[in-house]
Amino acid sequence: MAPILVAQGIVKQFGGLTAVNKVDFELEAGSISSLIGPNGAGKTTFFNMITGLYVPTSGSFIFAGQKINGLRPHEVTRAGIGRTFQNIRLFAHMSARENVLVGQHTRLRTGLIGALLRPKRVRDEEAAAVTKANDLLDYVGLSRQRSSDSAKNLPYGDQRRLEIARALATDPQLLLLDEPTAGMNPQETDDLTKLIRRIRDERKITILLIEHDMKVVMGISEKVTVLDHGAKISEGLPYQVASDEQVIEAYLGKGAAAHGKSGRKSSASSPSA
Amino acid sequence: MNKTTRAWLTGGIFGGLIALISGGLVGFLAGIIAGMVTGLLVAKHVVQRTPMEGFRRGAQNGLIAGMFVLVGQLLRGLLINPIIDPHHAGLHAVYTAALGGLVLSGLVAGLFGAVNTLPAPRNRAWSVGLIVLLVLAYPWLDQLLELRFMNEIIPVIVFVLMALGLNIVVGYAGLLDLGYAAFFAIGAYTTGLLASPHLGVNMSIWIAIWISAAVAAIFGLILGAPTLPLRGDYLAIVTLGFGEIVPIAVNNLDKLNINILGYNVVKDFDLTGGSKGLNPIGRPWLPFIGEFRADSPIPWYYLILIIMAFSIFFIMRLRDSRIGRAWMAMREDELAASSMGIDIVRTKLMAFSMGATFSGFAGAFYGSYISAIFPSSFAFDVSVMLLCMVILGGMGNITGVIVGGLIIQLADRLFLPQLSQLVQKLFEKSDIAVLKELNFASDFRVLLFGLTLVIMMNIRPEGLLPSADVRAELHSGDDDDAVVATGVKQTV
Ligand SMILES: Nc1ncnc2c1ncn2[C@@H]1O[C@H](COP(=O)(O)OP(=O)(O)OP(=O)(O)O)[C@@H](O)[C@H]1O
Ligand SMILES: [Mg+2]
Repeated sequence: MAPILVAQGIVKQFGGLTAVNKVDFELEAGSISSLIGPNGAGKTTFFNMITGLYVPTSGSFIFAGQKINGLRPHEVTRAGIGRTFQNIRLFAHMSARENVLVGQHTRLRTGLIGALLRPKRVRDEEAAAVTKANDLLDYVGLSRQRSSDSAKNLPYGDQRRLEIARALATDPQLLLLDEPTAGMNPQETDDLTKLIRRIRDERKITILLIEHDMKVVMGISEKVTVLDHGAKISEGLPYQVASDEQVIEAYLGKGAAAHGKSGRKSSASSPSA
Repeated sequence: MNKTTRAWLTGGIFGGLIALISGGLVGFLAGIIAGMVTGLLVAKHVVQRTPMEGFRRGAQNGLIAGMFVLVGQLLRGLLINPIIDPHHAGLHAVYTAALGGLVLSGLVAGLFGAVNTLPAPRNRAWSVGLIVLLVLAYPWLDQLLELRFMNEIIPVIVFVLMALGLNIVVGYAGLLDLGYAAFFAIGAYTTGLLASPHLGVNMSIWIAIWISAAVAAIFGLILGAPTLPLRGDYLAIVTLGFGEIVPIAVNNLDKLNINILGYNVVKDFDLTGGSKGLNPIGRPWLPFIGEFRADSPIPWYYLILIIMAFSIFFIMRLRDSRIGRAWMAMREDELAASSMGIDIVRTKLMAFSMGATFSGFAGAFYGSYISAIFPSSFAFDVSVMLLCMVILGGMGNITGVIVGGLIIQLADRLFLPQLSQLVQKLFEKSDIAVLKELNFASDFRVLLFGLTLVIMMNIRPEGLLPSADVRAELHSGDDDDAVVATGVKQTV
């Protein structure tokens, strides 16, 4: 299949620091892929460049045949890329349902005049939007009773799910998930992994996720890309990457590869786990 | 403090102070206000089953609040009046008004209590209905009690209307606009130019008011387009500057010269009348009523009420629409909002020019109502006062902004002047030389005003009637810790 997203020679510098260094990257349409790497490797920075929050120092992104760098974040969203955030960024004081309604913003047409006069067209659109929001909340497994609660009052795991529902509301072709299972217990992680797979299978949405939990990465990725100090050091099928010496070295430090001992990341973070 | 205690205390303090400051027949009005405040607060917190029970409960608390009115009225009539005006007669009137205030307070509170026992959506509708009824009946009450407040109350409502517009900008979209009065000036001057003999246009006010709102909106766009992409603090500074520039420009546009390529195209053209202002500005005309007159405020009162009703209706629609949601999302988290597909600049611009539209509309009405406008009516302190109205009542909440706006405006236009007059007279009668020298009216009015706000910001920063989210935001010490904790969790 043709790649849905192509990154060519992406560089991002913050002053003297090179956060992402000449990364070439391709994402196959309909796939689930992972972007991994130690803390500070530049993964989130890479996401932020795709979604227009950062402008790459050099290089370009091509999404579905269209060059998207230089577009502003809302234009990228309109083009069909949805995302979640590593540090949950819900609209804390709006209800769960309202959060998902905001996600539909670019897919709705109501303008100033429409909002003021509220003709039938607008009422219908709004009713459909609410139905869609409820469906999405169901889909990610948030209970109906909680949909009127402020986002900030939801349990942590539900907040992560709500972020996914909100991103799905933008009708993306490509969904970027930044550490979706961070802070979850094994049961929650398991459920979320299933959800991610369902999103791809049922909705045909391409998924790229940043993840530290290697069980998740190995379990659902069809391709894994490893960043270290901003550079791509390895790429391939999960088991190939897991046995790549350079990767093990990046995670565990020099010499660790030879000894095969677990290093600084204790919780299932070693790629060989 | 017990919720019912707080209810009658709040109502009682309001009513008591009004009675004390104004005296005379205002005591009746003070009673109604005390009863209304008490009744609404009691009804909000205590659920009663039958209307009879609700009435009794409301009336009990209303009577306690009414005691404050009674005491205020008696203090004023028996202690203060003899000092400031020894020839003051009519103890009879004092007693009537004091007792009347007490009874009305109980009665009104009881009514609100009874209405609140109706089943769920109807109790709210009826409460609102009662308030609307009181508001509609006010001119009659004013006449009956010979209060002569009508001429002050109309500008009060104009300012509340503006506060509602500012609330879109500050409360919904989270943009700090420190020069909001500039759009008020633009609206008023546009009407001044179009509906007066000054330029010989003499357009009907019914048309001029719409053009004024549109012109204000366009100025909003012109000012907003280059500044709104900037960070919040810059917007505050730019609007502050704009608020200063407009009155100064208007003041100096009485000798307009335009030179193009050395040719003096426009010479000493008087556009705005300078510091003399524009006058007379046309008034509305309606069949049956004829032209509105300065000496009969009643048509103006109902006109501004109608404008107000439409404004509230439209603001509520905006709030509950796709656009309102975008404003609030942007206020909560600009970055996340933009990642969810909201065009930040466009959305800010829409809020900003929407606010300007309301201000321009209010300015046009105001100009027509007072029939003469001067640059000094639109100084910086007007912008600040409007901001205070929004903050006092509770940002982002329509009811809150109306209540906050009414309190500040009524205090500023009616009760503080009366209070300073009263204190002034007391000072003059006193034997202390320093006090006699003081001009209380001009020296202390603003001080009192500022003091109220400082106290307010300290004890209740979220405003009197906050929207649920703002209250949560300001009282979420524990929740902030939770966020920090999860932040740690993620990076481990
Ligand atoms: N806005 C910024 N300004 C300056 N430096 C930044 C900025 N954003 C990221 N960086 C730096 O770029 C580097 C990469 O950060 P990034 O957040 O992309 O890492 P990451 O791979 O997502 O790490 P983690 O697994 O901890 O989330 C870090 O050194 C970080 O400090
Ligand atoms: Mg990251």
